[in-house]
Amino acid sequence: MTPAEVGAALIAELGEGLASVSGGDRWSRATVDVSPSRWVDALRCARDALGCDFFDWLSAVDEEFRGYGVVAHVWSTVSRHGVLVRTVVSRDDPAVASIVDIYPGAAWHERETHEMFGIDFPGHPDLAPLLLPPEFEGHPLRKDFVLAARVAKDWPGAKEPGESQVDTSSRRQPMRPPGVPAPGEWGPA
Amino acid sequence: MASAGSVGKRTVGDLPPRSRGVIALFEENCTVCMLCARECPDWCIYIDSHKEEVVVPGGSRPRQRNVLDRFAIDFSLCMYCGICIEACPFDALYWSPEFEYAEPDIRDLLHERETLRQWMWTVPVPPAHDPMGEPAKEQAAAARRRQPG
Repeated sequence: MTPAEVGAALIAELGEGLASVSGGDRWSRATVDVSPSRWVDALRCARDALGCDFFDWLSAVDEEFRGYGVVAHVWSTVSRHGVLVRTVVSRDDPAVASIVDIYPGAAWHERETHEMFGIDFPGHPDLAPLLLPPEFEGHPLRKDFVLAARVAKDWPGAKEPGESQVDTSSRRQPMRPPGVPAPGEWGPA
Repeated sequence: MASAGSVGKRTVGDLPPRSRGVIALFEENCTVCMLCARECPDWCIYIDSHKEEVVVPGGSRPRQRNVLDRFAIDFSLCMYCGICIEACPFDALYWSPEFEYAEPDIRDLLHERETLRQWMWTVPVPPAHDPMGEPAKEQAAAARRRQPG
């Protein structure tokens, strides 16, 4: 089946969803967007109706105003086709049902997504942190998480050609790379 | 059966072409445009410079040129992405396949101008172009000029 056919088959089985094709050439993949309430059903259909027996990975994307996109990639080792199943959860109180009952291998992926984005997976047996040290605060892969190291260290590219010190008196603001807050905005003093 | 000493240890000569070992700086080509320092995702290139006037005899006014005071790359931060080498418009940065520069003290992984210059002498000749590949932009443009229309 072509990626487009795989996506259409999943939508036909599930009864809802938006199919598209991601990537190109050998890497094109059926991509199906579903609502969070049908997340578990979509993955169950992918496993049972499409024969996707191999769970590849699950993660999230911080899509700012849209919310957090949760993506799972599953693959059929027999038919050699795969699906990227996607959903979007709201930024305030993000949660989507856990899929460990369908793919037990998703347990660690959901733990990592929970600690990196703060998304809850009700139904998961133990959402303990996986990679970060216990005293770490915050969810690092969120787009509003400030990289403290970048605020503390002066950007070497802020100097103009022919300068050894950043000239803060004559210019309005020294150049800063995108995403790094101004010294007054964030951090101590 | 191969002897134990010859299996496994690679030397620089065995490496594939375009292997990324360390970054070398050819100072003569550097105009201190700061593009490498700005594009580096790890902020590991430190450049200091000043401007000097060059009086051109018989010229209208003295020109200014940038003089490099300090060019350092911190290889403890570098992720070997090569963006600095791709960004440099003047071909002052090169990949070298040398990889044996581990240090017991992490601060010695900050290589200054002199060290980066020494790496230049290990930069290999670029590999020949793929005969089946697309021609370089310059070749295509020259071919178009020779046969207009």
